[in-house]
Amino acid sequence: MGTFPLLIRWSWRDLRTHWIKVVAIALVIAIGTGGYAGLASTTKWRQASYDLSYRRLAMYDLRVDLATSSVVEEGTLADIAAGLPGAAAIVAMEERLIVPTQVDVSTPTGSVLVRGEITGSDFSGGGPAVNSYVSFTGRLLTEEDDGHPVVMVERSFAKFYEMEDTGTLAVSGSRELEFVGQASTPEYFTVAPEGETSMTEATFAALFTTLETAQQLAEEPGRVNNLVLTLTDEADRAGVAVQLNDSLASLPVGTTVSTRDDNLSYTSLTTDIDQDQALFNALAILLLAGAVGAAFNLIHRLTEQQRREVGIGMALGVRPRVLAVRPLLVSAEIAVLGVAFGVGVGLLIANAMAAVFTDMIPLPVWVTDFQIVVFARVAAIGLAIPFLASVIPVWRAVRVTPIQAIKPDLTGRGTIVGLHRRTVRNTFAVMPLRNLRRTPRRTLLTVLSLGAALTVLVGFLGIMDSAYGAIDTAEQQATGAFPERIVVKLDTFHLTESPGVVAIGRAESVASAEPTLRLAGSIHSAAGEIDVFVELADLTNGMWRPTLTAGTWSDEPGVLLAEKAAADLGVTVGDTVTLRHPRRGGLDSYTFVESELPVLATHPHPVRGVVYMDLGHADIFNLRGVTNAVNLLPQAGATTSDVQRELFALEQVASVQSVTAVTEAVRGAFDQILGIVQVMVVAVLLLALLIAFNAAAINLDARAREHATMFAFGVKVRTALRIAVTESLLIGIMATILGVAGGLVMVWWMTQDLLAETLPDFGLNVVLRAETVALVAVMGVLAVAVAPLFTARRMRRMDVPGTLRLVE
Amino acid sequence: MLIELKDVAKRYGEGPLAVTALADIDLLIDQGEFVVVLGPSGSGKTTLLNVVGALDTASEGLVKVGGVEITTATRRDLFGFRAGTVSFIFQAFNLFPGLTVRENVQFGVDAAGSAADPDALLSSVGLGDKGDRFPHELSGGEQQRVAIARALATGNPILLCDEPTGELDFRTGVQILELLKEQAGNGRAVLVVTHNREISRMADRVVELSSGRIIGDGPPVGGTSPVSELHW
Repeated sequence: MGTFPLLIRWSWRDLRTHWIKVVAIALVIAIGTGGYAGLASTTKWRQASYDLSYRRLAMYDLRVDLATSSVVEEGTLADIAAGLPGAAAIVAMEERLIVPTQVDVSTPTGSVLVRGEITGSDFSGGGPAVNSYVSFTGRLLTEEDDGHPVVMVERSFAKFYEMEDTGTLAVSGSRELEFVGQASTPEYFTVAPEGETSMTEATFAALFTTLETAQQLAEEPGRVNNLVLTLTDEADRAGVAVQLNDSLASLPVGTTVSTRDDNLSYTSLTTDIDQDQALFNALAILLLAGAVGAAFNLIHRLTEQQRREVGIGMALGVRPRVLAVRPLLVSAEIAVLGVAFGVGVGLLIANAMAAVFTDMIPLPVWVTDFQIVVFARVAAIGLAIPFLASVIPVWRAVRVTPIQAIKPDLTGRGTIVGLHRRTVRNTFAVMPLRNLRRTPRRTLLTVLSLGAALTVLVGFLGIMDSAYGAIDTAEQQATGAFPERIVVKLDTFHLTESPGVVAIGRAESVASAEPTLRLAGSIHSAAGEIDVFVELADLTNGMWRPTLTAGTWSDEPGVLLAEKAAADLGVTVGDTVTLRHPRRGGLDSYTFVESELPVLATHPHPVRGVVYMDLGHADIFNLRGVTNAVNLLPQAGATTSDVQRELFALEQVASVQSVTAVTEAVRGAFDQILGIVQVMVVAVLLLALLIAFNAAAINLDARAREHATMFAFGVKVRTALRIAVTESLLIGIMATILGVAGGLVMVWWMTQDLLAETLPDFGLNVVLRAETVALVAVMGVLAVAVAPLFTARRMRRMDVPGTLRLVE
Repeated sequence: MLIELKDVAKRYGEGPLAVTALADIDLLIDQGEFVVVLGPSGSGKTTLLNVVGALDTASEGLVKVGGVEITTATRRDLFGFRAGTVSFIFQAFNLFPGLTVRENVQFGVDAAGSAADPDALLSSVGLGDKGDRFPHELSGGEQQRVAIARALATGNPILLCDEPTGELDFRTGVQILELLKEQAGNGRAVLVVTHNREISRMADRVVELSSGRIIGDGPPVGGTSPVSELHW
């Protein structure tokens, strides 16, 4: 009989003896490699899906918006664009009319009244050619719908409120429209209306209609206020934007030229990928590192147990490379199983995340191909690790003399780190810590592996906590002393004493009303420039005022900046900044001007673009006595719905919302992401349990003689188990501390570094809720501590005499 | 009698493949006796020790140790029996590597709940100054002395020794045997299992096994010799 067939048969017996450990270690590798592959795959196909979808629906490269309430004759904007020196770069353009409105999609079971806007585009010739539409239910509009009161409803909003495919809805002025389907367009792949954050589909209803219909609804026949263009791939987008800006200056109205990179919906998706990729890479690498470290440690120890047999083989004259076959075969089994399981785990995670993303984002194209390159890369790691883990102990066994390898380690040689010599009077109590300290490398590797897995968990949960923390801060800022406050946005500017505005205050369901102003602009300093939304309210006697973190408002004109804005602009209270803002010229014309203003105070709102000023300084905008938004307090017993319904009939009202509507919507959107978090929590829990179980099982083998000695002295099995559980508990505690610390660092990096680059408009503080720490503690400490209990049966069934017998 | 075995047999397996490790064993040992169980490899001497120490169960017969009939005892009772009646000394020492010498002896105290003083016991075995060392820092003979101290720390009346000098050189082995003989003088029953016929010369009684059966039970040929006259 040859040696090799014997080794194969021997290895098969090894597998049968240790099959639970082999499978468990393979699962550890699978979770690490599969988790990495699943997360990395997500990034690949999101990128492909976004690229294809934006291209298919011709997302604009440049966009022109007229100042609030301004319109021009149809064709004016297109003519200007066509006359640019760089006009040859223009592939297509569409003039549009965008009208703010309120939308009522209430059903008998629930009231739904939200703000929104109607976008009118040219559907002739199969258009629009820029920012076209994809239908999810019902049908798309065609040029036959021109002038008819029909619309398509934005898909995310319609899905959120479980709207039918077709039906009727009402807009401001109680005008009824027929909706013929649910559609999406690139600007609404994620709902991020101006002045809001993204993911606000619950509080914003975008309606899409023909240009003629929009003009009828806005009572602006033949007029437009928006232009979108696509350029060739080689075009100098910035150059064309400058030309457009210069040419538009000839118009008597203010204009803003923006690129697709200024569109929050676009950037929050596309930069999301870069941000997510960095985040997923960091978390996936940690998960992989934890799994790889654990697998390495466990396989190493499993192979160490064969060291004596390797020595015997060498003593019998067998070549070391032949002797290495047996332990390497075990590693091969683990490697193959690990890769096979890893593909399964990776597909599971990728599919789970795919389901979440495809549900959240209504793209016309989703590419979720199996990412063979990604899986192949991690499969290579999954194959390599078991072999590397075996090579070291085998090499150690063959490099010593056979007798050194054969001789049993009766005294437990090895580094005993820091073992003190002060005698304790209860040896059972001291054994767990002594056991850990006498194998410091093994202990360290186990703690690091578990710690890495827990760091991933804390990272995921910490990001969610920080996001929810920011939402809470925004909500507290919005509610102030009156959480029932309601904000009414008007369709345009109105005189404060105008009948339309007075009527709002006189509504039956309204207790008090205060006019305010809300304007878009930008602020720059020597350090940079940021886009802002300025809210002017009566900060001294009004019903609401912001919470301040530094400074205070005064009679002097000045701005109250978000802390993040101040930090990004490099200014503090007392410094001067330049505010670029609209200033009313004539009755309906506005131009952008710049004003130097001091920073009076800072506030904690997480959105850096939120700026407050006192309404008494409306002169700066030439808007004294003018308003475009009203703060309301409802009558006692009246709800937001009551106020919405009563004001809906007023044509000048564009939206009526609770001050917490946006934050609630964002909170709801984040709740959807919890599905991904839950997948990772399960994966990490499983990984931690597997690592702990394997460590306990291998410990049981390594300490068999010690346990047998204890039993020979009448020590009960439960005492030995208690020692093992305590040992595991200590490892769990150390790993948890490491995991929480590492996770905090990870969350800090993600919120202060990564997000600062990819989503600069948001300021997140590092928040880790007590519930999160408790969950991590339960998993890291308790779950790990109970792992040795799974070896109780083996301990009870130990062949004590056989284990005690010295094998010669 | 401290140890009573009557018609004891031990078989492994069933049918034609069954192996008889012990058969027709009748044995009585009293306190203060130093008994050597002698036999070649495979004679059943270690099995006999394991049956007496309740590490293994007899297939037939009566085993009564320290007044406890262990053939019918429950598993829980056997743990208590081992804690309070017998103490083992192994050929491979089987000290706990993570505990100091003193703590290894303390383990014996904790396991049996006795009131012994580890330092006093260490002094009695000549290791009074090495209580703070770890097992790997001691020689083989010193480790076996720690094992003896640990066994004595339980305060149990019966010492079961499986080839206690197997890992030791002659001089060190003699020292160990002297210690064990001393314990018999202190009223303990000491049972030593060995294949070394020379060691049997120091016994009060030699029980010789062959193929699982007792083929001899009596004083050593030529009478009991002092330990100093042994040589192997």
